[in-house]
Amino acid sequence: MEKIDNNKISSWWLLVPTSFLYIITFFIPLITLLVMSFSRFESSVTTVGFYLDNYEKILTDGITLKIFFQTVELSLMITLFCLLLGYPVAMLMRRVGPKARLWILLLVVSPLLTSIIVRNVAWVLILGRSGMINDLLISWGLISKPLPLMYNTFGVVLAVVHVYLSFMVLPLFAALSSINNSLEEAAASLGAKPLSIFLNVTLPLSLPGIMAGCTLVFILSMGVYLTPVIMGGNFVVTLPMLIEDAVRNRYNWPEASAMALLLLIAIGIMIVISSSIQKWVKS
Amino acid sequence: MGKKLMSNLEGYRSLWPRRILVIFSSLVLFFLTAPLVILIIQSFTNESYLSFPPPTYGTRWYTEVIYSEDWQNATFLSLTIAIIVTPLSLVLGTLVAFGLERGPKKGKQTIQAIMISPMVLPHIVLGLGLFKIALQFNISDSLWAFVPAHLTITIPFVIVTVGASLQTFNTSLEEAARSLGASKFWAVWYITLPIISPGLIAGAIFSFIISFDEFIITFFLATFQRTLPLEMFSTLMYQVKPSIAAVSALTLAITAILTVVLMFRGQVVGGGKIIK
Repeated sequence: MEKIDNNKISSWWLLVPTSFLYIITFFIPLITLLVMSFSRFESSVTTVGFYLDNYEKILTDGITLKIFFQTVELSLMITLFCLLLGYPVAMLMRRVGPKARLWILLLVVSPLLTSIIVRNVAWVLILGRSGMINDLLISWGLISKPLPLMYNTFGVVLAVVHVYLSFMVLPLFAALSSINNSLEEAAASLGAKPLSIFLNVTLPLSLPGIMAGCTLVFILSMGVYLTPVIMGGNFVVTLPMLIEDAVRNRYNWPEASAMALLLLIAIGIMIVISSSIQKWVKS
Repeated sequence: MGKKLMSNLEGYRSLWPRRILVIFSSLVLFFLTAPLVILIIQSFTNESYLSFPPPTYGTRWYTEVIYSEDWQNATFLSLTIAIIVTPLSLVLGTLVAFGLERGPKKGKQTIQAIMISPMVLPHIVLGLGLFKIALQFNISDSLWAFVPAHLTITIPFVIVTVGASLQTFNTSLEEAARSLGASKFWAVWYITLPIISPGLIAGAIFSFIISFDEFIITFFLATFQRTLPLEMFSTLMYQVKPSIAAVSALTLAITAILTVVLMFRGQVVGGGKIIK
């Protein structure tokens, strides 16, 4: 009996190479950021120590915190739109036959496997000042000046939703397809209206999928850099853009590290909220 | 009474606004796929500017891109990284998946969560930390920095896809081979690996595509070298030219081919497993 157990423990040797890699490429970088965030940056010299300068600056300079909340707001908006657009698709996937389901799944997943930058380029070509929509509307004489479809929050949200919608649909579909049809049919046969069945049976049962999808999309959106830069110009600024600027243009590692930790804290809070909602619903 | 129940049920099935669901979902799916179709159509313009629909069609910009040294170098670098990263990521991730599946149940979940945690760390944060380390080791702007960095974000996907396949694998097949005298290694090699190959293929393709498309981490690590996404980004920031559409369509073709392979292997059809 004991021998088998040893055998099992020895399987963990298989984790060693990857753990070794992670220590160098994951844990040490994260610890470094943590240490850096408490360091002092004065006239381009970084002093390691325990200073709260960077956090103080972030919280009091009036700009960083504002942009942080803008990023949170943007991410919540993106998450909400993904949910509203994704839920009906996931629901349809559950209701159609296996062949149609496969096709819908194919369409849902295909953007996931195409480059984010390619998808952003596509939106630039569609929404830009001389993009497809403005071109067509002007040539039809409907408008005289190009509409501002890009370089604003609208363009950024649209493009990010396009990028992350698949991440919402997949967990939603997984949760919805694990609901037993007979539960809804039982409610229906007792005279419940479709809307009330949806609100009282389907929606609560699919909550784990909703929370999983929302958490995932929120986390991804908080870290999004490329799309706001391309679609927002300099008009939509997110925390990742500030981080990038602090390091690459100002070499201010301590401040960038503190902002990175702020990002991680926000994500941590989101994970805690979503898991406590799930626990609360279960009980 | 039974009749009442049945008619209620019928009512539920037909009353459900299925048509609205179909129309709405079609619009969403159109939203998902149309931009890429439009992009491909625009890339075949023969003009020096982008417009839709293009006044004249041709492959002028494809020719320009294919013969451009900048694009060649960027493609070469991206492919080099992805080709090194994919097999390494597959081997390391598969070892982890086996270790987790065959190891003690106790603590498995915690260790698995740690092993796939790079998945939920924003790449901007990971990129920032890796850049600092790379500067310290003096290896930034080289494959020595790019490859380990990409591995960190691809391995979790292999752990998840291979892990999902291993969960459904019936170990008694492997035990049968061993009882017939096969060593542990050869039993896994000849029995287990072929059976879980859909998971391996899915993991390999995910690794390739994620590495091939990676932007922000490489953006931090690179100073002079440019991968394809970096080259596309800097071109795009400078000017929106038809060449960018042609390159996008070409990278789309590369990833689409891999996607088709993935689809035919039916792994993604397994449902949310890959994401969960």
